[in-house]
Order: sequence, then structure tokens, then C-alpha cells
Amino acid sequence: MALTITCPICGKRNGYEFRYGGEEKGPRPDEAGLTPEAWCDYVHMNNCVAGVQEEWWFHKDGCGSWFKIHRDTTTNLEIEQTEATE
Amino acid sequence: MNRFNHLPTLKVDSASKIAFVYKGKKYYGAKGDTIATALFANGIRIFSRSLKYHRPRGLYSLDGECSNTCMEVDGIPNVRCENTLLKDGMVIKEQNVKGSAQNDMMGFIDKLDWMMPAGFYYNTMHKPAKIWPIAMKQIRKAAGLGTLSPDFDMPGRYDEIYPTADVVIIGGGPAGMTAAIEAGKKGLRVILMESRPWLGGCFEYRSREYQNRQTLNERAHQLANEVNALDNIRVFTHTSAVGVYNNNLVTGFQIGQEEDPFTERYLEIRATSIVVAAGCIERPLIFDHNERPGVMQAACALRLAKTYGILPGKKAVFSVGHDFGLEAAIELHDLGLPIACIADIREDGQDPFLMKRIQAKNIPFHKGWVANTTHGQKEVKAVTLSGIDGLITKKVNCDLLVASAGMTPVTGHITVNQGKLCYDSHTNFFLPKEMPEKMHAAGTLLGLTDPVSIETSGKLAGLKAAFDCENCSIKDIGDAKKELEALPGPARGSKLVTAPVQGRKSFICFDEDTTIKNIKQAIDKGFDVPELIKRFTSAGTGPGQGGIPGHNLPLYVAKYQALQDISIKPTTVRPPLVPTGISTYAGTNHKMFKITPMDDMQRKDGGIFRNIGVWQRARYFSSDLSCKKEIENVRSNVGMLDGSTLGKFRIHGPDALKALQRVYVSDMSKVKEGRIKYSAMCNDDGCVIDDGVVVKQGENDYYFTTSTGRAGQTVEWIRYHTRYDGWDFSLVNLTDSMGVINLSGPNARKVLEKVVDIDVSNEAFGFSEYKAFKIQDTIPVKAMRLGFVGELSYELHVPSSYMKAVWLMLKDAGQEFNIQNFGVEAQNVLRMEKCHIILGQESEQRTNLLDVGLGFLWDRSKTDTKTVGTVALRQAESDQSRFRLVGFEMENNGRAPRDGSLIVDTKVRGYVCTARDSFSMNKAVGMALVEAPLADIGTRLEIFEDECGDERIYGKVVKMPFYDPSGQRMKM
Repeated sequence: MALTITCPICGKRNGYEFRYGGEEKGPRPDEAGLTPEAWCDYVHMNNCVAGVQEEWWFHKDGCGSWFKIHRDTTTNLEIEQTEATE
Repeated sequence: MNRFNHLPTLKVDSASKIAFVYKGKKYYGAKGDTIATALFANGIRIFSRSLKYHRPRGLYSLDGECSNTCMEVDGIPNVRCENTLLKDGMVIKEQNVKGSAQNDMMGFIDKLDWMMPAGFYYNTMHKPAKIWPIAMKQIRKAAGLGTLSPDFDMPGRYDEIYPTADVVIIGGGPAGMTAAIEAGKKGLRVILMESRPWLGGCFEYRSREYQNRQTLNERAHQLANEVNALDNIRVFTHTSAVGVYNNNLVTGFQIGQEEDPFTERYLEIRATSIVVAAGCIERPLIFDHNERPGVMQAACALRLAKTYGILPGKKAVFSVGHDFGLEAAIELHDLGLPIACIADIREDGQDPFLMKRIQAKNIPFHKGWVANTTHGQKEVKAVTLSGIDGLITKKVNCDLLVASAGMTPVTGHITVNQGKLCYDSHTNFFLPKEMPEKMHAAGTLLGLTDPVSIETSGKLAGLKAAFDCENCSIKDIGDAKKELEALPGPARGSKLVTAPVQGRKSFICFDEDTTIKNIKQAIDKGFDVPELIKRFTSAGTGPGQGGIPGHNLPLYVAKYQALQDISIKPTTVRPPLVPTGISTYAGTNHKMFKITPMDDMQRKDGGIFRNIGVWQRARYFSSDLSCKKEIENVRSNVGMLDGSTLGKFRIHGPDALKALQRVYVSDMSKVKEGRIKYSAMCNDDGCVIDDGVVVKQGENDYYFTTSTGRAGQTVEWIRYHTRYDGWDFSLVNLTDSMGVINLSGPNARKVLEKVVDIDVSNEAFGFSEYKAFKIQDTIPVKAMRLGFVGELSYELHVPSSYMKAVWLMLKDAGQEFNIQNFGVEAQNVLRMEKCHIILGQESEQRTNLLDVGLGFLWDRSKTDTKTVGTVALRQAESDQSRFRLVGFEMENNGRAPRDGSLIVDTKVRGYVCTARDSFSMNKAVGMALVEAPLADIGTRLEIFEDECGDERIYGKVVKMPFYDPSGQRMKM
């Protein structure tokens, strides 16, 4: 796998070691007053950005932590955080 | 045939003898031979027949750029014999022939080419539609190269390695070696990959002077020695780089030498920087019958002589378009090959030094001439040469025609990594215009031909790569750049693709038998770009991966359409750049599964094991797969089951309870010490994914179990759903460090009380209770009174290292009751009779908590915990269209349907989850997921089994559970 991911604990590692956890969508919404549509959107709808996206990864063959990275979906390269937020 | 045995460039030991079998006859080759050169040395000229027209084909290149020399070797079809070293005892057969390659009964098809214009597959045989099944059979018989027996077992050992390096260099020629030396001297870790079995590239087989009376061959050896002297350069020879991906990941495959422990191995190298110095292959010259055996490329003819010691013919004609062709002619002439004449497609621009030597040797030389047609029935007997304009012709007898229009840079490694190429009208190459990040090109693929320039470009690339690794100054690079600029630059390349011919028998692609005429037909049909023409005519889609037509096709297409140079676009190249066996990608077939601590003891007890998920488990303990004895023993006596595959976890820390509340649907704050809490987990759709029990070991300290299949994902799951909260808890997977013994049956207590010191009476240790204690003050046990199989039952969780000891104690204690093993299948029937579900059997991806009747677990009052799945469950609650889990029994004492059979009426209404002929109930019972209207007690279910035709079997919905509805037996 060409992808490498930088785990905050273990450093830059081969993409094989990680599992994808979806786009960053923010914390679970409060259940009070939540419409089925809003819930469904939160769970299932994705922006599918062609470009830099913030996303979750799990270091399954490593330290077992969840963390976020920025990745350019068009090149499949990780982008450094500072660069991405500029 | 006599071979040269004195040349310094030889790579074969001419005196040695390696026996092999070809077409049932014994032949001998020399050590170092490839299969193709050994056959050639034995006088074999026709190696195969072409895919479509069954034309005879022979040795053309020596690097496997076409399928001409694909053969069946030791049962493996499509072995590229030019790249495969000869081994003792190899059995070699021709393929794609009816009869032999020499006399192929299908050869007549060559005359029927007029019936098969470009794209004829698309245009014919589909009207009328009825004809297609018949046509398909015939086409399938004729199409494809080689046959593989369905039960063929690939011999050999296949391995894989994943090295990392600072710099990877693709190509072990002069430029690659120089780059490696430069980067190596900086102390960087360098990997050098070379397709041939030795380093040296285009210097290796040439005797031209490099500098100061040193030959190119000697120079190659000198560089190779320098490379080998540097410990930080790892050299992989006989290794083709087949893919380059972003992030500078290089994949390749290496062919093992005799002493290597692998046949082939896959390499996946992660590098900081890459140097591509893959060199050039020759661009074929196209004329009529340009692939008749006896026609070969210049480097092929030269290497046959100089590397393998074989003179390629008795009388040669050369038709070339570059100085290397002239050099080859001179060298071969000096080795004793009579040359009838040299036709050079260039009017001017030849190297004056080479011209002087040709004149000195009195070799007839024609500028602006080209091979037009070859003659001969199967092999070349004569060639007609013509001027470029075709006005004058001349026929010359010969048995070897060395033909080469120009050079083609091997740029695949650059383009698969998203590098962009641009047509360059000076070299006539597609040259890299935009290099990918941290990738550098060097050597002849840039059009350089001067030996010192080639090496200096390698030096520059090596320094640039070192710079990428933060190990080189800009000044060093600037100096190397200046040094290169002072040397001769890229040589002018020829543009000519075809001789002045109509092209009916002029092949642009050998693998797919595509002619110039086919290309014209495709263009005339409106396919205007090479990419489309390639697909319509299939030119370049064969095993040679576009090596033969890759460069010529876009040039010819541009010429035929009178396009501007700038608009000439190459076709897309994709990995693998060199054909690679699936076996190499597959690697070693590791038989991987987990075993429990009880594995060998259960095997000794006669357990029949099956792979279940990632585990190997004892499924049966007798050849009776209905497990009657095992089941009856548990129901009436006592049995032992190894349940070690269960997922086992500890969660502790200040926020442990919060985390449990998030993922379990029940209110976990109600878990009392000493009691067992059964609960379930759902996903965000409310679909039930896991069930298990939780016990409290102390304040904020819990031990819980998951189903076997979920053990691997549970940590990930809990951490995922708490990832925003920043909670403080620790989660430990104890699945492998703890084993589980399930002791079940009416006599279970009598066995257990002999082993443990605590009071296990029903009053002291009741149903649904939990106790932690030690056996003989040593072995810590977590014991739970559960009733999965519906009988008095103890689940003992024991550290894996003590599992055997406890198992033996129980076995010993149970001897007087005749305790027996029971396996996973018996457990499956026992729990089914009790209607205890197994997720994955009584559920699938869409099944939610309510569907399987576990709604009672869900605590609706805990809304602030944001429990996973509850939002969706609330929405699904009133949905009447969902499936329901029901119990059923078969009508008229019928047998049980197979698991997975469908419940039908006029359409599918559900399916059978688990059903068995129950010995405890004396009838066939089971559970099914059905649509809500069929879920009422008494409803007749029509069951459709696979391949049952019109026959149906019938069941009726009954109350659950079937066995011991009041639950007395597990509470006794």
C-alpha cells in the first residue's frame, strides 16, 4: 500500500497497519429533538471530498488508538496538519 | 553448434552441459543460458506460432518484449523463455500450435487475414444472436496462449519482503550504478534493482572503447566492483521493478538463483527518493513480414554472440536507424559474421568514427535505405531493400536480418508514478517533462549515448536523490550539472516507423498480430487517438506489455493523421510493467489460524476440527455429525466444552462505566457485584452486532465477554465510539490470555465440587451468579453460572497457562460420572433447542435488536449516555415491515430443513436460521427470521430448499423456547 499514516504515538507507519474510520463529522449529536433525517445524515452521509479531507484512522496493528489526519484524496498522500489548515 | 569460448563478455560456460527436454527430445545447453538461447544454440529457429494468424515466430529481442518465445516449461504455460534461465531437466513444450511450431496445421489462417479486419470480433458473430453460443465456443478454443490444467499445482516457493531504503535505483546499468555509488558514498541506504541476472546494462556486452583503452565491458565490471564494495548498497539482480506508486513505493519481483530459498519473491520497497535509469529498448522497424524468424533486433543479435557465444546467422543484412546498430554490425563482423550490406534509414548524421571502420571493412553501406520485405517460407531466406521513398528496390540473400528503427526509453516507472511525458522531436523520444516528487531520471532513457554523459547523468541523479535525503549540498548538484552540460547531449533519433509498404503483413504488435493495415482501419473507423486504437485493435495488450508497439503506435498514428509533433501522445502504461505470475503476488500460502490451549488434548480425545472464523475448533467428537451421543450426555449427565475462543476483556479506570453505557444497550450501572449481566451491543443502525455478559470485579473495574467473531474488533469499537469524549479508561483484550471451560449437565455440580474449595450448592452459587476464587490457593478462576445450553452449567475462566491443569482436574473428577467432551456442533443444537441465539446465525447485517427478540435488554431511560444504536432502534420500533425471529417445528414429523433455506409463498418471506432434528424434543425444530405477518403462533411456513424443484416442506410457528420453557433445568 502506497499510503503511509502518521500515528501520533507510533509515528509514520505503513498504511497496512491502520483501519479507516470515516470522515471527521464531529461528536455524536444530542438525541433530544433529533430528526431521523438528521441522524441518518450524521451516520451515513459523506462529503467525499476530492482534495484534502480530515479523517479518522485506527492503529489496529499498533498502539490501538484512534486519531485524525489530513489526507489529499486525489493523491492519497497525508498532508501535514499545519499545511492543511492554512 | 560451436560457441565462442574466449570472449571477455561471455556469461555462459561454453564447456558445461545442461540437459533439457524439448518436444520430447533431449538437448544440451550451457550454464548461464536462458531457455531461448539454449534452443537457439541447438538450431531451433521457430519458437512458437502467433496468437491469431499462427505465423511462425522466432527470437526477436532478448528481454521478453514480445510473446514470441513464450513456451510451456515444466507444465507452466507462457513462460518467457528469454528471461528464464535454463535449469537441469527442464521439460519445454511449444504452445498455441496444432502439430508443431515447425508445421502448424493452423498456419492456413495467415491467408485468411482479409476476413479479420480490426475489430472483427465486435462486428461479427453476434447477428443472428443464435450463432453466438456456437461462435463463442470456437473462439474460446482458438483464443489465448497456453493451457493450464484446472488441478495444476504451482511448484516452487514464493516469498515476499518489505525493505525500506533511502534511495531506490531502478536499473543496474552505467547510470544506475553511478547513481548508486554517489548515493552510497554519502552513507545512504541504497537499493539497486536490475532486471538481468547481472549488473552492467548497455555497457556489459560491448567492446567499444570507453576511455584510455578501457572497453565498455571492462568499465561495467569496474563500476560493478565499486557498487559491490559499498556495504550500504543492496543489489537485487534478476529483479524487475514492476510498479511505482506515490509516496515512492516501489514494487518488483526477483527471480531466485539456484542457491536462493525462493523461486520468485515479491518486493515492496519504501524509499525516500527514486532514480530511474531503466535504459532503452529497441524500437522495431516495421516492414512486410517483419517478424519472420531470422529477423531480430540489433542488441539481440549482438548479445547472442557476445553474452551467449552464439553467432546469430550465416549471412546478415542490417537495416537500422541508429549508431548502435552500426556498432553491432562492426562487432559481429569482427566475430566472423558475414554481412551482405547495411541499410541505414538515416540520410546523414552517422558517427564518422563508425563510418570509417565500416568502410575499412568493405561492408556495403546504403544511406536512406530500409528493409522492405523479407522472403522465405518459414524463415528468412532473402530480403528486399528499398529506398525510404520505395522507388528503387534490391533483393539480397541472407538468413539474418537485423532490424531496428530506433530506441525507446523505458519510462514506465515514471509514468505509473504520475510523471508526465512530452514528445521531443530531437531524440524522437517521449521524455519526462514533469518528474514526480523525489524521483530522478538518468542514463540512456534521456537520449544520451555518450558513455561519459550516461555516467555523469547517473552521478547527477544520485546526488539529487541524496539531496532528497538531506545528505547533499546544492553546490555539489550544481557542479555535477555543469559537468554534464559540458559533455555530449542527447543524440538525434530517427522518426521512421515503417518502410514504404501497404502494411497488410507488417506487424506493429506481435503479441496480438496487429498490422499497420489494422491500425489504418481503426483510424478510418474514427478511432483517432492511440489510446482508443490500442483498445480497438488490441495492439500492445499482450504479454509484452506494449514493449513492441508502445512507441511505434503513437508515432505511426500521428504520421497517418499528419499531426504536429507536439500532439503525439503515448498510451497509458500500468503496473505490473513486466508480466508477473499471480503466484509471486500471492506469496507463500500461510495456513494461519489460532488454536486454543486445549487443542492437542481435544485432538487426542478424538475431536474433529474445523476452521471457524480465525480459530480451529473441535466441532465434533465422533463421526456421527448429528452429535446424538454428545447431546444426550449433556442433557442427562455432564459434558465439557472448550470455549476459549470467546472474546474476553477487562475495562477499568474512572470512566469505564461511561464507556460501557455508550456501547451496551442495557443500563450497566445496574451491574451488581457477584451477579452476571447479559447485554448486547448495536451499531448506529440499531443492528445487533454482539452479545455477551458483564461482571463487576470492583469499583470501575469490569470483566466482559464478547462473541468469538467480535473479539478482534471490540477494543476498536469501544474506543471509536468514545473518541470525542476524552474519557479515562483502560481496555485490555484478554482473549488469548484466558481460556474458558464450559461444564454443563445435571451432574456438573457433582464434578465441580470435587475440584474447588468453595461452596457451589445452588444456595451459595445460584443461577446468574459470578464468583472469583482460587483452586488449591493457586489457580485463579472466574466462574459464572450461565445456561447457554439450557442445563446446569458453569463457565470457568482460567488463565491460559492453567487451562490444561483445570481441564485434567475436571476430567479426573468427572471420571466416575463418565464425563464426556462435547463440541461446537453439539453446543449449537443444545442452545438452539433452548432458543438462545448466536449472532451471525440468528441475525445478519440488517437484523436489529428488536427483530431477534432482545428488545427487553434495551433500557430506554438512559438517553444522556448517547448509546450507540438507540436512536435507530426508536425509529425502527414501530416498523411493521421488519423480520421477526420465530421458532418453528416441522409438520408430520418431517426432517429439519437446511440452514439458510428460504421461507416463501409467492415470494421470499424470510429464511431458516438454524434447524435440526432435535433428539431432546423428538422432532425437527428450528428458528427462522420471517416477515412480521408470518410471525404469529400457528402460522404455516412454506420452506424452499436449494435444488428442491417444485417440492416444498412445511413447518409451523411455535412458541420459544422448545426445551424446558420454564428454565428449571439451568437453575437447578
